[in-house]
Amino acid sequence: MTVKKRSDLAKTYDFKSWRDFTPMNTSLGTMLHNLTGSWRFIKPVYEDKVPACQNACPAGNDIEGWVRLLQEGKYDKAYWYLKREQPFPAILGRICFKFCEAACNRAVLDDCIGINELERFVGDQVALSTPHPDLPEYNGKGLAVIGSGPAGMSAAYYARLLGFKITIFEALPVMGGVLRVGIPNYRLPRDVVASEFEGLKNMGIELRPETAVGKDITLDELRNEYDYIFLATGVHTSMKLKLEGEDQSHQIMSGLGMLKKVALGEEIDPGKKVAVIGGGNTAIDAARTAIRLGSDVTVIYRRSESEMPAHPEEVEEAREEGVDFRFLAAPEKIELNDDGTIRNLVCCEMELGPPDESGRRRPIKKEGMLFDVKTDSIVTAIGEIPLFDYLNEIVRTENRTVAINECLEVDAKADDKARIFAGGDIIDMPHTVAHAVASGKRAAIAMDCDRKNVDFADTLKKIVIGDGPAISFSKYMGWDPVNPVSYNNHVVVDSKKIVYDYFSKALKLQKKIQGPDVRITSFKPFTSTLTLEDAQQEAARCIHCGRCTECDNCLIFCPDMSVLFKGNGQFGYTFDYDYCKGCGICFTECPRNSITMIEEESPVEED
Amino acid sequence: MKQVIKGNYAVSQGVKLCRVEVISAYPITPQTTIVEDLSEICARGEIDAKFIKVESEHSAMAAVAGSSSAGVRSFTATSGQGLLLMHEVLHWAAGARLPIVLANVNRAIGPGWNIWADQSDSLSQRDTGWVQIYCESNQEVLDSVIMAYRLAEKILLPVMLTYDAFFLSHTSEIVDIPEIEQVDTFLPPYNPEFKLDVDNPRMFGGMTGPDYYYEERYIIHKDALETLELYPKVCEEFKEKFSREYDICEEYQTDDAELIVVTAGTITSVTRIALDKLHEQGKKVGLMKIRMFRPLPVERWCKVLGNAAKVVVIDRNLTAGLGGVFANEIQAALYPLQNRPVIFPVIAGLGGRDVTPEDVENIINYALKNDQPTDIPLFWGLKE
Repeated sequence: MTVKKRSDLAKTYDFKSWRDFTPMNTSLGTMLHNLTGSWRFIKPVYEDKVPACQNACPAGNDIEGWVRLLQEGKYDKAYWYLKREQPFPAILGRICFKFCEAACNRAVLDDCIGINELERFVGDQVALSTPHPDLPEYNGKGLAVIGSGPAGMSAAYYARLLGFKITIFEALPVMGGVLRVGIPNYRLPRDVVASEFEGLKNMGIELRPETAVGKDITLDELRNEYDYIFLATGVHTSMKLKLEGEDQSHQIMSGLGMLKKVALGEEIDPGKKVAVIGGGNTAIDAARTAIRLGSDVTVIYRRSESEMPAHPEEVEEAREEGVDFRFLAAPEKIELNDDGTIRNLVCCEMELGPPDESGRRRPIKKEGMLFDVKTDSIVTAIGEIPLFDYLNEIVRTENRTVAINECLEVDAKADDKARIFAGGDIIDMPHTVAHAVASGKRAAIAMDCDRKNVDFADTLKKIVIGDGPAISFSKYMGWDPVNPVSYNNHVVVDSKKIVYDYFSKALKLQKKIQGPDVRITSFKPFTSTLTLEDAQQEAARCIHCGRCTECDNCLIFCPDMSVLFKGNGQFGYTFDYDYCKGCGICFTECPRNSITMIEEESPVEED
Repeated sequence: MKQVIKGNYAVSQGVKLCRVEVISAYPITPQTTIVEDLSEICARGEIDAKFIKVESEHSAMAAVAGSSSAGVRSFTATSGQGLLLMHEVLHWAAGARLPIVLANVNRAIGPGWNIWADQSDSLSQRDTGWVQIYCESNQEVLDSVIMAYRLAEKILLPVMLTYDAFFLSHTSEIVDIPEIEQVDTFLPPYNPEFKLDVDNPRMFGGMTGPDYYYEERYIIHKDALETLELYPKVCEEFKEKFSREYDICEEYQTDDAELIVVTAGTITSVTRIALDKLHEQGKKVGLMKIRMFRPLPVERWCKVLGNAAKVVVIDRNLTAGLGGVFANEIQAALYPLQNRPVIFPVIAGLGGRDVTPEDVENIINYALKNDQPTDIPLFWGLKE
């Protein structure tokens, strides 16, 4: 701040008579020379922060940014802005487990924002086959992506934006991995996945279906041909029940196998009664698939409902559709007829003991408490594991995962062949599509750092979002945030600093979903994308935590007139530190914590 | 246009006609309907004013002190305990020379909790430096609001209008409401020489040491006395525009009166009835209605009351241990006279107790009968 000597500026008047006085008790001249900012020991600064939703998103989706564009009616812009951090809104907008909504600060007031549905709306605003409008020249490096699931797709998308020339290898005849053959059509329509691949293709990414690495081509061959390899082969093998007879009946199938067959259009007949073993999302998908095939379904799970790894919303919808749940029960023995059909599934009642390493209470058999389940077929969905044969021992694995470092680079012997990175379900990470997309982004940036010989750990420090581990592609690219103001991507909004008094209640839009009777008649999706009016209404509920909206509160409340418009059409305000006393009223009254108080480095000089 | 309206709406209509720009008030019976009406007038956009909601009367007064400092015509209203809560800022507003207008509905001070007419609230604020005007009718209330701004902005002192709870605040009378364009010709926009200006900030109400504080207070006193000269001129101009006559105080049948009754507020109307009856009986009695009480019109009072043999002062207020405020001030004002009238101080109607024409008639007859007052003061109608 400018420090002027008061004695130079202040004038002194000496009144000889009462006749010289002004009627009001006021200084005769200006008081501008009195720089009250010199009293300050802390000062406010405008600092946009990471909203709770973005902090919670595994992919670091800048939700507040595109919600704002949505509010402004800039739908195309919102689409491309969203794709900066999460490239597949039409996919995740349908199937994401909504970490953002669980963290949404609006819930303190009434209910979270329906972010997932808004994301779907934004995803449907632009034809998915539209390539990114601003593609760079190729940087001369080639990348082979093995596996076309969400991790592979994401790595390919971001690596292309960084100039890599990319080929995606897929063992199956269809692209999309778990998105195509795992998640049922009613949750994620095939055409959405197919259109996304159209988009990737239109960005110049080569797609190689029906090319299984380890069979049609070896990893070593790829290592010779490409500069970088991204392993994203996912988990496609169901774990065994380890019961006698398990492999001797055509009526016993894995959940993944069943979903894949249905997805590829193969005929299957699970029979009238189906028992699904397991409590994860695959179990629920299999159960709801079997219901749609006309079976009566019972899900048998060894713990109780609250320990189920499946998403509660999915469980609820399955229940509405008529899926029965038998909790605290585990298969003990399979009795087969001579023709391979199932005579009896013997289960044992379980009880919950102390917590195990997963933090959930361990199921314990109740000795002798056996009961029979009459069923035509058994679907096993107690967990999935990867197949690593194709790695050919080039890459080190541990506990059924590929060992990786912070850059998602695998532990492989150092040579002059391609550097290998890995992501998605084969690394030690929660198995969700959002996490898979995050790993693809991270690997793409890590490969680019490697290409440019830049230290990834240093880069990471700059681009990590809030508490991490999500990282920002925008920040890496140096793209402007939605607000052209100082944005601190390291600081998460302090929810205690949100002033809810400034927001009025508005209930969350109720999800529009078809009734269960209609749902179970086909594999068609049973929800629809929000209408424009509904999307606008829901977007308007966002309180923009951590981000300035030019609400003028600071300007109105500042007792020192030290909050000034930037002017010239520029966004936001500036502080006049010559007069700001550091009282902190702007900070206290900012409804969304986009002002921060910082300590002055040293006392301001005074004459 | 003539309308039948309550006293409180006479105020709100007056405020609207004056194009007040900031209104801040806190509700208190019997004043509430003033600000209720004003808030609705603001909400309907009938007046280009900011209505500031506050959490207390102290804040209401502080808010209008702020807006008035910024050079904006400002208004507030209150009553009883609310006025007492404003006390600190009342002093500030006068000392800072802020031409705020305040309507105070005279209400008794608790305990016992009492919402009825009694002038103790405003009289206890007589030393705050505010100009005080007491009103008798709803028409007078409306007209006084308009004249108050004219006076206040000329002399740079705040003006408090007062009128009795319920007898006026909640009683409907015919009121002639002038056209706003007509009021505009009487009341120019407020544009003070000194005001808060962010582009040219000045210090207001800053530290003023023994060197200058004394002179500053003298100036306030001098200007307050000037009000006594100015107000009759304002009334004269008002009469020219609106054909209604007001003065610093009002006289009724005082010319050859041997006894003059002094009243303020609605007891005046009751007294008029009593006087008419007494005149029929040939008794020479007159009336002086107090309008301006601060600054105190000493000269005028002496002129009106100096020739009477007896003066009866009816006080609807009480300063415990002394008596009625008006009687006390009249005694002080008349003291320099060579031939002072005999003063009969009477306390009547505290806490809204009804004072009828018969009461006033009897009070006057008591004073006519006795050479000297029997009690100082006489508590009229006390349950013995």
